[in-house]
Amino acid sequence: MTNKKVILLITLVLSIVLFSFGFISVKMKLFNEQWKILPYILVGVGFGAFGHILGSIIQNKILKKNPEVAKKINIEKNDERNLTIKNRAKSKAFDAMLYIFGGVMLILVFLNVDLIITLLILGAYLLVFGIYVYYINKLHKVI
Amino acid sequence: MKNRLEEFRKKHDLSQEELADELEVSRQTIGSLENGRYNPSIILAFKIAKFFNKSIEEIFIYEEEFKNDK
Repeated sequence: MTNKKVILLITLVLSIVLFSFGFISVKMKLFNEQWKILPYILVGVGFGAFGHILGSIIQNKILKKNPEVAKKINIEKNDERNLTIKNRAKSKAFDAMLYIFGGVMLILVFLNVDLIITLLILGAYLLVFGIYVYYINKLHKVI
Repeated sequence: MKNRLEEFRKKHDLSQEELADELEVSRQTIGSLENGRYNPSIILAFKIAKFFNKSIEEIFIYEEEFKNDK
């Protein structure tokens, strides 16, 4: 069994454990009032991961039987024009996100929302900007 | 940047789809290259040149040079 298959299998089992535990917790009311939302999150994340991994396994099985289709998909995925388009779209979305985040923060200030929420969003904004600056520096050294 | 990709492709009696398969790119990439909407990476330019057994300059024409020729 290859490494990729082992990882897929482990994640599949983990996702089943996650949503089973979440489901049992809901039924048996294992969590107190403060944590009552947690089992629902576990069920959601568990089912989401389970579906995603099962989809990947089925797709891999189908593609193994159809190498021609697999080759086409691989070409589409690695096609340099497609990658350029994807990266340009990402860059446009990032530029837009900076303005949108800024706008949301302004609205939150005007709405007199709890300071901690505004600071959380400000922190996320600065973190994203920090990652941007980090990659600019890193890529300047690499490229 | 202009190019003579369409001309060479037709000379070799290939469809866009067939050339795309040979170069391992999408058919849309060949279409965009032929229309001059997309400039290829140096690696793809080399691949194309090698496939047609030509030099890069014979297929891709740098715009300034193109203007001077006119």
